[in-house]
Amino acid sequence: MRPRLLLALAAALVLVPAALLLAFRMPEFGAHPLPYGDAATALMLHERHVTNMVSGVNFDLRAIDTLGEEIMLLAAVGGAVMLLRGARGEGGQRRAAAIPGRPIPRRSEAVVLLCRLLAPVTLLFGLYVVLHAQLTPGGGFQGGVIIASAMLLVWLGEGYAAWRRMLPGPLLHALEGGGAALYALAGLAGLALGDAFLANVLPPGESGSLLSGGLIPLLNLGVALAVAGGFAMLFLEFLEETRAPEEGEE
Amino acid sequence: MSPLPWLVAAWLFGIGLYGIVTSRNYLHLIGCLSVVQSATYVLLLSAGFRWGAGPPIFQDQPPGSLVVDPVVQALVLTDIVVGAAVTALLLVLVLQVHKRRGTVDPDALRPLDR
Amino acid sequence: MSLLLITLFLLVAATGTGVVLTREPRRQVLALAANGLALTLLFTALQAPDAAFSQLVVGTAAVPLLFLVALASLRLHGPPKEERKE
Repeated sequence: MRPRLLLALAAALVLVPAALLLAFRMPEFGAHPLPYGDAATALMLHERHVTNMVSGVNFDLRAIDTLGEEIMLLAAVGGAVMLLRGARGEGGQRRAAAIPGRPIPRRSEAVVLLCRLLAPVTLLFGLYVVLHAQLTPGGGFQGGVIIASAMLLVWLGEGYAAWRRMLPGPLLHALEGGGAALYALAGLAGLALGDAFLANVLPPGESGSLLSGGLIPLLNLGVALAVAGGFAMLFLEFLEETRAPEEGEE
Repeated sequence: MSPLPWLVAAWLFGIGLYGIVTSRNYLHLIGCLSVVQSATYVLLLSAGFRWGAGPPIFQDQPPGSLVVDPVVQALVLTDIVVGAAVTALLLVLVLQVHKRRGTVDPDALRPLDR
Repeated sequence: MSLLLITLFLLVAATGTGVVLTREPRRQVLALAANGLALTLLFTALQAPDAAFSQLVVGTAAVPLLFLVALASLRLHGPPKEERKE
């Protein structure tokens, strides 16, 4: 028997009864007080004029926590890109790789048409989701991924070469790094005014307007740029893996 | 019926861990890891739920109406996106292992086995 | 406890089990996407539209794509010249 299986069995002997016991001793589902959540809701609604509490918590109450998430994203994307590029260099490669005996089918016109129609709409939707972070469900994290997937539709519809021309690598680097920097620098505004790091120092504005929430739209924008750039870069570098070097190289 | 959410969370954690332990393919292992991760989402969101309460969005309901806990939702939301980036990093590590050692089976890898 | 929530909790447990028990990575990608969709529905029913949104775009689009590309890359770039231990 493999050692990791033995270890897991030994752990399961203790953990399974403990987990079962705990599941039956937990508070009643949906019927216990939520003091922290209620306090956060009241604060966000009346002092920050935010209508989406989740964005309020992310970019104000727990802004420093989100800074940590942002750095984690930066580190993960940076690590992945570095490992991928370390193996094959930075430049783009010309030819689509294929397994011998399995030709690559031509892109059908229906796919091209659909992608041309959907890519701008998806991009617009992503921007909408980003901009309305503090009002309706959405925010920089979700909107960023939607924007990145709109960029991916360009690859699906127009092919690799057009995609690389449209999205130069340095642009994505700037988005990713710039977004994270914007978030961190916006935090310094509080320090400059003699308040805490990442304190919400801007006026809260009118509830329900695009500029309500003080610093929240700015921090949200930083996250959106970093997530969109980061995921687009991940897609780019991953799909680069399906390319082969030019004939005669290597 | 009340402990069902907690039992589902525990089940997802356990079955994912079982998959990780018995996996013979790193790609499959990463998929199991995401199941373990989803156990935490189910646990957190269930803990923040409240019967008869609406979503924590006040765009279309009057201030003062009963809503569920927004804090756990914020935790889950950021973790889903960052978790995807970490999954990408893990996939790249698998590709590296495959390029260098020619295998994706955890058992075929031994330290310093050349 | 409402019937809808019970169904969705069980659906998440079932699809999660499916992900683990699907040993063939190419099929597991589809199982992962199904699990992501089930989680999205559960999050919506738990009154968490933000988390559901996030899970929808990441779990059913971005992560399966990354898995598929990784699979393609594994097939394209076979093992180097060294002998394989099978």
